[in-house]
This record gives sequence, structure tokens and C-alpha cells, in this order.
Amino acid sequence: MRALYIGWKDTLRRFRDWKALAGMLAAPLLISALIGLAFGNLNDTETPISEIALAVVNHDDGELGQIYVDVLHSEDLTDLLAAENMDDLAVAQQRIREGELRAVVYIPAGFSDNLLEGAQGSDFGSHAEVQVFTDPTANISPFIVQSIVEQISNGLNSALLAGQVSALQAADYAHILQERMAGLGEAVADQLSPENFDVRESRLGLNVIQTGESGPAFDPYSFFVPGMAVFFLMFSVFDGSRSILQEQTRGTLPRLITTPTPHSQIILGKMLGTFLTGLLQFALLVLASTLLFGVNWGSSPAGVALIMVLTVFAASGLGALLTSAARNESQAGIVVSAVSLIFGALGGSFFPASNLSGIVDLASRLTVNRWAMEGFTKLTVGRAGFNEILPEAGVLALIGLVTFVLAMIGFKRRFVR
Amino acid sequence: MTQPILQAQDLHKTFGKTEAVRGISFDILPGEIFSLLGPNGAGKTTTISMLSCLLAPTQGDARIDGHSIRGQAAQVKAVIGVVPQEIALYPDMGAMENLRFWGRMYGLGGASLRQRCEELLDTVGLADRSKDKVETFSGGMKRRLNIAVGLLHKPKVLYMDEPTVGIDPQSRRRILDTVIELNRQGLTVLYTTHYMEEAAELSSRIGIVDHGQLIALGSQVELTKLVGQVDTLRIGLDPEGLEEAQLLAAVHKVKRVQRASLENGQLLVQAEGGHAALGGIVACINQAQARLLDLRVDEPNLEAVFLHLTGRALRD
Ligand SMILES: Nc1ncnc2c1ncn2[C@@H]1O[C@H](COP(=O)(O)OP(=O)(O)OP(=O)(O)O)[C@@H](O)[C@H]1O
Ligand SMILES: [Mg+2]
Repeated sequence: MRALYIGWKDTLRRFRDWKALAGMLAAPLLISALIGLAFGNLNDTETPISEIALAVVNHDDGELGQIYVDVLHSEDLTDLLAAENMDDLAVAQQRIREGELRAVVYIPAGFSDNLLEGAQGSDFGSHAEVQVFTDPTANISPFIVQSIVEQISNGLNSALLAGQVSALQAADYAHILQERMAGLGEAVADQLSPENFDVRESRLGLNVIQTGESGPAFDPYSFFVPGMAVFFLMFSVFDGSRSILQEQTRGTLPRLITTPTPHSQIILGKMLGTFLTGLLQFALLVLASTLLFGVNWGSSPAGVALIMVLTVFAASGLGALLTSAARNESQAGIVVSAVSLIFGALGGSFFPASNLSGIVDLASRLTVNRWAMEGFTKLTVGRAGFNEILPEAGVLALIGLVTFVLAMIGFKRRFVR
Repeated sequence: MTQPILQAQDLHKTFGKTEAVRGISFDILPGEIFSLLGPNGAGKTTTISMLSCLLAPTQGDARIDGHSIRGQAAQVKAVIGVVPQEIALYPDMGAMENLRFWGRMYGLGGASLRQRCEELLDTVGLADRSKDKVETFSGGMKRRLNIAVGLLHKPKVLYMDEPTVGIDPQSRRRILDTVIELNRQGLTVLYTTHYMEEAAELSSRIGIVDHGQLIALGSQVELTKLVGQVDTLRIGLDPEGLEEAQLLAAVHKVKRVQRASLENGQLLVQAEGGHAALGGIVACINQAQARLLDLRVDEPNLEAVFLHLTGRALRD
């Protein structure tokens, strides 16, 4: 109970401090606005990704394989895809390795027959598989091709399941699909910025296409606002955790210890203070970004709230742990600044961490930012539901719990003599 | 006989190699103002910190209102009020806001807390500044609010650790008057200072602390008796071309002189019947061809007691 008063006192003090507020709210909003403006301007310019070199190897002699060929060659996609037909899969693969092609779509022999037989039998589609071979050095284009192929397959699958398509009707279906593809290239092109897509767009491009059918346009704010919000949250929460050391040197912590308030309540109260401050900061950022930039935080308010609460929880736990281990306030300051920057860079506050691999990816997965960003981008860009962000929520909760407990122990050792 | 409200028994505190407190024992009776008088670094704050359950003693114990500082910290904290040497307030919060926060930390709340805060703001003369942030206050005002916080829960014993350091004479007077008034209302006070005038004016009994030990304890009258009818002479000399050793040797030979020291042109002499010895001392000064700048003779006081016991001045 008294911990609440201490936490609330800290929250009030922090929100009265104009300098702290600038770092907590003004800076992330300003930077998001700048990035958003940069993106806005680029949207009107040339198609950043166009004429992806692609080969279609169709060994199927039925109608269904031909649908893929038709769609990939369709007029609506000519800006986006430069598709050619080839006969030999091995040659096509070789051309990927030589850098001439970004992807090869391979439709095996007997594809239509297998698919249509399967549709009538029990093991639907078990032998019918379209394969997409991609250039491992390319970031975006393989995803785009893959997604388009997935779209065709999905459409075909659902049509088959619904019994709409027989072998005879299959040819007509190609036209329906082609219509659905209309505008897809445009939509993709709109979202991509020429400078950044190499590091950034794999996630965005993919997500845009996956959601392309229902058609919400990709909004750069929905990636950068959470990124900035998480980064500046870490920064100010970490900074706020140092206040316990400040109270130690300024004599208010010793005075607190001379009151009948139990030590555990005092320490809990201090940690609660950083938590409450961070929560309020983040909630205000969500609100402000919605009002100012029209950011759509997704369709699961409960999901956003959960990731938000747990991100702040993990950040304040970690901040407390770092502080409890620091020699003094200024050392804590250096440590927490360094950690917030490294976490921001590694954890995907500035670019999607999904591009990382190997040891860097592993390191990234140790950061609070990574899990927070995965959760938020799932919600904002991927339009995920509550259940889909539970893994991220679980990791954040675990980080928070472990760091909180360790920090409690550290502070108790340190201040109770 | 009345039971002591505070009993300190053989308190020790060691920080690494520093022995800050080396066996301090004393009792305080209810209604007393008890002062610990000692120079910088004597161990006053360390002693108060142990009595406040802020530092665990390396050895020894203390009982406050019957509760041990070792095992019953919660009970001890409920009966003590602490006014720390450093101002321990939130500068970016108002005076009233600070009081209300600290009140909550003492388990107070509601209307009674509000009333108590107003009462205390009145006591320390800050009622008209209750909404102002503490950072806008003068040093004296901050010190007064610092005291008010220690009084919130109506403690039985109030610890005041050098509450008048670094403030103007009016504020100091005001604080001393407040202490006297609180004591008149029945509050027991443990007061630390290195100003002997404060200890002399306020206290019923005084403990003199030096190098972590209590070197004397008693009422002012009892303590000054230790020195006997010895006066302290302070003589300021022009240090230029002063033959210190020679002069000091000569002064020691003057009749009635018990002690003499000379540092930076300050000649400090303790002599039985100071005025009677003055003639001889001035003669020595003339002989040494030293230039006399000023001269003062003090009757026996606490300063003299400290000098008598340690050979050093209380303040440098
Ligand atoms: N936390 C600590 N760590 C190490 N040494 C300490 C600590 N606190 C006090 N000391 C040392 O213990 C001795 C006594 O210090 P203390 O603060 O109790 O003196 P004091 O009588 O209150 O002095 P002052 O009049 O300057 O306030 C000093 O030598 C001081 O340097
Ligand atoms: Mg002190």
C-alpha cells in the first residue's frame, strides 16, 4: 500500500520534469513524425521495386498449372514482375545462382491431375505442390513472388474445397484470380522506399501482400511509432530507475528507511514508480500517435495493452537490475544509456530484426526491444489477434519477472544494513 | 526513579578500516534534551544512524522505549522522529506535498494527516508557503521543514542531527526556540552539534564525543567543573617572524599556566585565574618581540572542557 504512494510520488515528480517529458514524449513523437514525412514524400515517386526477374517452369499439362502461368504473366503484374517461361528447372536454378533471376516458380508434372484427384479423394492436394526457388541474397523480391504464389494457391485451394472448380471450370477461374491481383503491384510499390527496402522491407512487403486481399494500405507509422515508443520507453524507464540511487545520495532514501515503512515496500515502491511512469508514457504515446498520425494499433486493443504492460514491466525490471548492480548514480547512467542504445539497435527499434541471423539474431532475442517489437508489429502491421502475441507476451513477462526479483534482492542487499 | 527512554549500550560501528564509533553508552531520560557535542568526524551521525535503525551496529545495542534497535526496528521507528543532518526533502514538491508524502510513510492518512501537516507548517512558520516548491526555499526554511517531517507522527523521541548547520542567525534562533518549545510540551530530544553554545543553551545533559568515543558526560555545570577554575586565554599574534617554540616554552613557565598551544599565530592558554596569569604571558610576548593583535579571556565553558580533555579546540 505504501509502495503505491512511493510509486505515485515518483510518477508525479517525473511528469512535472519538463526535461524528462521532452525525452519521454516529445522526442519519440517528433522523430516518428520526421520518418513519417520522409515516407510520405517517397510514396509519390517511382515504383521502387519493379520487374522482378522470374522464371516459370511449368511441367504440368493440365489447366491448373496454367493458372499460375497466366496470373504471373498477367498485365496487372507486368510492372512488378518480369516473368519468362522456361523448360528446364536445373537451368533456371543455375540462373538464380548467377544472379540473373530472383525466383523460379516450378509446377511439377501431373500437378492438375493430382490436385483434382485429391479434391475428390481423402488426402487433398498431397501430391500437388508448387515450389518457389528464391535468390538467398535478395531480401524483398523473393517474398513478393512467394506471396503472390501463395495467393494463387490459397485462392485455388478454397475454390477447390468449396467445390467451385472442376477441371472444366479451372480455366475460367484464372480470370477471377487475375482480377483479384489487380492493383496488387501498385499497392506493393506504394509501400516501399527505394533507400530502405533492402534492410527493411522483407517484413513489410510480405505483410502487405498477405493482407492485400482485404486491402488496408501499409502505413510506415505503424512500424516506426512502436519502434520509437519502445526505444524511448527503455531510455526513460532506465533513466528513471536511477532515481533510487539519487534518493540514496540526496538523503531521502535513508530517511525513508528511518520511517516505519518496511524495506520491501520502499524498494517495491521505487520499482513501481518507474513502471507506472513508463506505462503512462507508453499509453500517452499510443494515444498521441493515434490522434496525430492516425496510427492503427491493430484490431486487438487487449493485445496492445498486454504487450505494452509487459514491455514496461520488463523494461523497469531490467532498469532496476542494472541500477542495483551499478556502483553509483553516474555509473548507472552510463550503463543504462549504453544498454538502451544497444538494445534499440539490436532489438529492432530502427529496422526489422527479422533480417538478422546467427549470433546477432540470438543477441537480438535477448533484448526486451526485440520481443516488444515482434509483438507490436504483429499487431500493427500484421493485424494479429490477441492469441497470436501470447508467445511474445510470455517472453516479456518472464524477463520482467526474473529481473524484478533479482533487482529486489540486489537492492535489499545494498540498502539494508 | 524514572526509566530512561533511550539506552545506548556500548555501540560500535566500523566501516572497513574506519572505526567511526568505538563503544558509546548513554541514557536519556524522558523529557530531556540530551546533546552529543563533538567536532567533525567524531561519530555523531553514525551514532544517530544506528539509533535510527539505518545502520546496524557492529557491536552493542540500544533500547528506545523498551525496543531493541537490533530486533525490533519497526517498533523503534514508530516512536522516533529523525531530523537528518542533510536536508532530506523532495525539492520539486511543495512543502505541504512533502509533509503529506512523509506522513503516509509514517502510516498516517486522511483528514488527520492534513490537519497535522497544517499544524506543523504553522509550528515551523511556513504556513504561508505551503504550496511553494521546496527548491524555492531559503536554507533556513528548508531546515525548518526538515524538522517538521520528523515530527509528523508525534514521536516520543526526536533525533536532531546538527539542525542549524549553515544557516543565518535568525533562522538558527528560530530553530532553537522551536526545540525549546517542543521540549516544553514534553518531547524528548537527542541533539547533536559542534556548537558548544547550542549544547550549553539547550541541554540538560551533554555527552562530549571525540574519535568515536564519549569522553565526558554530564550537565554543563558538572562538565565545567572538570576544568576547575581554569580560564581560557586566546591571544592573536602576528605570525610574521614569530619564534613559536621559544615563545611557547616561555609561556609554559609562567605561573598558573596549565596548558599552552600555538598555531598560526593563535596562542591558546589555559590558566587558573586567567587574569592573574595575563601579566606574565604578555611579558613573554613582549620579550619575544611578537606583535599582539587581539586578546580574549573566557571563563570555564564546554569549549574549555573539550580543550582540557583533548588538547584541541572544538572547532578549527
Ligand atoms: N558510510 C561510511 N563509510 C565509511 N566511513 C564513514 C561512513 N560514514 C561515516 N564514516 C566515517 O566515520 C567517521 C564518523 O563520521 P560521522 O559522520 O559519524 O561524524 P559526525 O560526528 O557526524 O561529523 P560531522 O560533524 O561532520 O557531521 C568519519 O571519519 C567518517 O569519515
Ligand atoms: Mg554528522
